[in-house]
Amino acid sequence: MDKHEVAFNDLIAQDLKIEPRDWMPEKYRKNLIRQVSQHAHSEIIGMQPEGNWLLRAPSLRAKQVLLAKIQDEAGHGLYLYSVAETLGISRQELVQQLHEGKAKYSSIFNYPTLTWADMGAVGWLVDGAAIVNQVSLQRTSYGPYARSMVRICKEESFHQRQGFEIMVQMAKGTPEQKEMAQDALNRFWEPSLMMFGPHDADSAHSSQSMKWKIKRESNDYLRQKFIDRTVPQIEFLGLTVPDANCKWNEETGHYDHSPFNWDEFWNVVEGNGPCNAERLEHHKKAQSDNAWVREAAYAYAQKTDISAVAQ
Amino acid sequence: MMQIKITNPFAKFLVRIADSEIILGQRLAEMCSNAPTLEEDIALSNLGLDCFGRGEELMKLVSALENNAFTPDDCVFRRNEREYFCIKLVEQPNNDFAWVVVRQFLHDVYVTEIFKQLATNEHQELAALSQKVLKEIEYSKMHSFDWLVRLGRGTEESKMRTQNALNVMWKYTEELFLFDEIDKTYLSDTDAIAANWNLGVNEMFAAADLERPADKKRHILDFRKGFHSEFLGLILADMQYLPRAYPDAKW
Amino acid sequence: MEKGDKVWEVFIQKKAGLAFKHVGNVHGYDKKMAIQNARDLYTRRGEGREIWVVPAEAIVSSPLEQADAFFDPSEDKVYRHPTFYEIPDEVKFI
Repeated sequence: MDKHEVAFNDLIAQDLKIEPRDWMPEKYRKNLIRQVSQHAHSEIIGMQPEGNWLLRAPSLRAKQVLLAKIQDEAGHGLYLYSVAETLGISRQELVQQLHEGKAKYSSIFNYPTLTWADMGAVGWLVDGAAIVNQVSLQRTSYGPYARSMVRICKEESFHQRQGFEIMVQMAKGTPEQKEMAQDALNRFWEPSLMMFGPHDADSAHSSQSMKWKIKRESNDYLRQKFIDRTVPQIEFLGLTVPDANCKWNEETGHYDHSPFNWDEFWNVVEGNGPCNAERLEHHKKAQSDNAWVREAAYAYAQKTDISAVAQ
Repeated sequence: MMQIKITNPFAKFLVRIADSEIILGQRLAEMCSNAPTLEEDIALSNLGLDCFGRGEELMKLVSALENNAFTPDDCVFRRNEREYFCIKLVEQPNNDFAWVVVRQFLHDVYVTEIFKQLATNEHQELAALSQKVLKEIEYSKMHSFDWLVRLGRGTEESKMRTQNALNVMWKYTEELFLFDEIDKTYLSDTDAIAANWNLGVNEMFAAADLERPADKKRHILDFRKGFHSEFLGLILADMQYLPRAYPDAKW
Repeated sequence: MEKGDKVWEVFIQKKAGLAFKHVGNVHGYDKKMAIQNARDLYTRRGEGREIWVVPAEAIVSSPLEQADAFFDPSEDKVYRHPTFYEIPDEVKFI
């Protein structure tokens, strides 16, 4: 082991942070880029399923809250792209990898949002699951990633509440609203639990990531934490957990759950979900339709702004 | 089915501005996840949030003036096309980013003049609101001005697209200044609005190297009487869908 | 990086009297765009009084390989710290 690697391992062992210009194993860098870019793309693609209901938000309040929330997601995607940039990859390259299908994003965003109750379920379950994960990542070993997680967690603290508020309104509303709420829960429950990733035993990158403290807690641990928190909230809403085996287990001190449908999960990851093609197409189109705008901005900057001539 | 009648002349005046801001907000919200850069996406959401925010505040004044016979949400979600009084300019679609910029620019210069006069209105709440709104519009104007110049002086293509957007939407600027008795009651100097607007836009046309389209005598039915472009019906169909489909539900 | 797209580091002063603090970065094609992008992203919750943006490429860093040479020599200058000095107990306000 050379002295750089010793120093790196030492920093990790002492729970100190790795900074962009510190020496790091190439695999650490690659692993981080993969995780951070996946996280960033999830924020950006995640704008679409919620954007689907933005124009139809049923009150001025709901509309403003939803727009602010989606805007936050754009901002969080941006923070995360900028973390990846500190690892030596540009935003453009990251986006290109997304468009070529080389970079992934959270599979949950490949499901359609069919009713307004889905805005509740997404905020409550999807953001809720993301927050559990992100809180744990505030202690990740890469400095810029950890700092971005602190900021993101602070800003996202209203997201899950926003979702739950919609669920309360609907679950306690008219019979039709309650039906929509239950339906949204049915559709988003299992996919949101699978957001935590494969079981620890089957997770390709997990053990190395844990060793390097990129990830601080295991997929199964975080998933169980989320289930244990969420089931009582479902009971509060007067809705039914869409899993007959989801019961409190005195012995383990946790809620049990049925085995997940991993075939579906992997199939959606591979691109065969209900909206994979649409999500990517939407993103590509916004990029290509507006290429002329970016060219104009470049041309104008060249004519006027001396500091913009570089590159 | 609830009928929303606005009879108070002051409320009639305010609802025109409120409607315009909310419909513009709706158009800006459509840009969410569709902007030229991630940063601009965030910027447009901010502009949209400001539009909805001031639209809602104005709607609160409208419902108060009508003795709270309806809520601001009722007023937004339960009036039909002919009961809406927004300017046609803000109904125009996001055909490309040049349309977004030109529409915002023409709007910003116009409402600056409106809110400047309302900032000294004897209705104190309205005056205070207008002073706050003027700050939002000042920022919006900076943003739309800068983009107008970038596009006007960027590339051949951007210039062409921007000039085209301006040429098409120009016809909807005429009605802005056909002030009626109601306008004249609540605005202190309607002539100044037209004069300042002309000065403002001409200055920007020079800065952005764009040509001011010809002013023609047109026959465009007045928004003040609830006449619109065909786009409004579609905007409302989206916007009002839930409260209309589930009239008994609370959201 | 797309033609002309640049990274700008963003510094924000929250209130008069406080130091400017680095908060992150934005992309932008020119100075005005960069400053507006910074405003729109980093002051959404009323966090700002004044913003600086600096082209990321203009920032010069101290060499990390020589961090020891840069910073270690200052570690033994104990006389720069107030606790280094002995003042009789009865003397106050010093």
